[in-house]
Amino acid sequence: MIAIATEQLSKTYVSGFRGKRRVQALHDLTLSVESGEIFSLLGPNGAGKTTAIKILLSLTRQTEGSATLLGHDVSSPRARAKVGFLPENHRYPGYLTGQQVLRSFGALSGISGVHLRSRAAMLLELVGMKEWGRVKVKRYSKGMMQRLGLAQAMVNDPDVLFLDEPTDGVDPVGRAEIRDVLRDLKTRGKTIFLNSHLLSEVELVSDRVAILDKGRLLKVGTVDELTATGERYHVGLADGLTQAFRTEASAKVMAFVEERNGLVVDVASIPELNAVIDLLRRHGIQIASVTKERSTLEESFLSLIKREVAP
Amino acid sequence: MKLLALVRMTLRELAAKATIIILAAISTIVLLGLALAVSTSVTQEGTILQLFGQQATPPMPQEELVTAIRSMQAGLAGGLFTGIILFGIFATAGVVPDALEKGTVDLYLSKPIARWELLLGKYLGAVVAIFANVIYFVLGAWVIFGLKCHLWDARILLSAVTITFMFACLYAVVTFLAVVTRNTPISIILVYLYLFIIGSVLQNREGSLYLISENTAFRAVVDGIYYLLPQLSAMRDNGARQLMAQEMDWRPFVQSFLSSALFFFGGAVVLKRRDF
Repeated sequence: MIAIATEQLSKTYVSGFRGKRRVQALHDLTLSVESGEIFSLLGPNGAGKTTAIKILLSLTRQTEGSATLLGHDVSSPRARAKVGFLPENHRYPGYLTGQQVLRSFGALSGISGVHLRSRAAMLLELVGMKEWGRVKVKRYSKGMMQRLGLAQAMVNDPDVLFLDEPTDGVDPVGRAEIRDVLRDLKTRGKTIFLNSHLLSEVELVSDRVAILDKGRLLKVGTVDELTATGERYHVGLADGLTQAFRTEASAKVMAFVEERNGLVVDVASIPELNAVIDLLRRHGIQIASVTKERSTLEESFLSLIKREVAP
Repeated sequence: MKLLALVRMTLRELAAKATIIILAAISTIVLLGLALAVSTSVTQEGTILQLFGQQATPPMPQEELVTAIRSMQAGLAGGLFTGIILFGIFATAGVVPDALEKGTVDLYLSKPIARWELLLGKYLGAVVAIFANVIYFVLGAWVIFGLKCHLWDARILLSAVTITFMFACLYAVVTFLAVVTRNTPISIILVYLYLFIIGSVLQNREGSLYLISENTAFRAVVDGIYYLLPQLSAMRDNGARQLMAQEMDWRPFVQSFLSSALFFFGGAVVLKRRDF
């Protein structure tokens, strides 16, 4: 089932005298996110990530195109009945305690009574804020605010969760805990739409990633698809290479790069990889491992963005 | 239910602000002063109204005393109206701009509520907070006049509704300005400008604006603007008549209700079209 869908979504911000200043924040964005997926939106500043989330939550209206949330048009409040949102730079009233924040915003989602109270207590425990529930929010640190924000986003037991920089200001232990929460939500069939600058975080939890730049969708795929580097393998060796191997490999035009504990080979096919392994074995060189090379998501992201920038 | 949650959040927000507490404190001081000041004493010639133990009126028959007390109540209600308009607007003008601030509006609008519901919840929250203050003062005054002057007149209780209604009409204008400007000080300045200058000039338009031109179209425009805005002065005068048990003209109330509904609707339309 499709949880989030956008069809040629465009947004132009108009400002200045007689609307002379126009900024195209989003250009024909077509996406679909399946239920139970962790989907991440990546892009440099001004790529249109936040605009996309804001349109999906009806905080901003699209100039063209359409979008649906759980089958409802995003402009309808019903679309947000089973949606949670952790905005970037959220501000909770400082005079409320953590518990009061969860109860107040839970009530706005239509939850009430004992159920709301027990859910608020459970969520505070889940995000590691049990002892801080009765403390006023104005005394919270940035990381604690972020944890409270995550709890607030989950207060209505949403089917779709939008998280804008969820680990911003959170320490490494807290980040790992948030990752665990996200994975747990995924196992319970929840859809998570993530917007983060921390690409290593995104890589660890996302099923699929979309890369945006200047409002355009550059690429969308699984983390494996985006980080694959073609047929490049790292062959770990127990011994060093021999001169005889080097000579024969050069004669057979085998492309490889020597590294300290092995070599990296570029091959066109699996039989070609096996030919390299056979040659190593024939020369009595012990093989410790064979692994397919991958770039990090950050490397793939930067290479994609640079390609776009290049003339 | 969600509307109630919004009202509750607004009341909590206002309770956290010192201004609304100061308003209640001022009411308490005035009530204490009233309790100490006013009393009656019965003589053979009639009843005397006393202020701080000093004779304020000659001995009067009961009917005249009632009229005198009602005049006092009307003066008190007038003072309350002025106080509520000045302090109440100051205390509550930030409610809507604060809700529309970046980082806060995202939290509200990501919930399954329509934008007009958010606006209505904030509006009602502010009106309920003011009503609580007004009813506190008016009930206190009613009890004081009842105990000390033996006049248990329910008309003064009705003035709580009238004053809150007048505040609600004006607050619809404040809400509209707050949505348009998203700025609390500008909203306050504009509404005070209307209260102290524009409103008075429009109400006395026959002796002021009409003198600018005899053109009927110009005068029609001036009349149109007057009827487009809540008629606070006319309502206040009628509120005093209500306390004095005189005949009231309900037209300013009806017109002001329609006017404030229009302002609220305008605010909701502007908010609906706004990108955050």
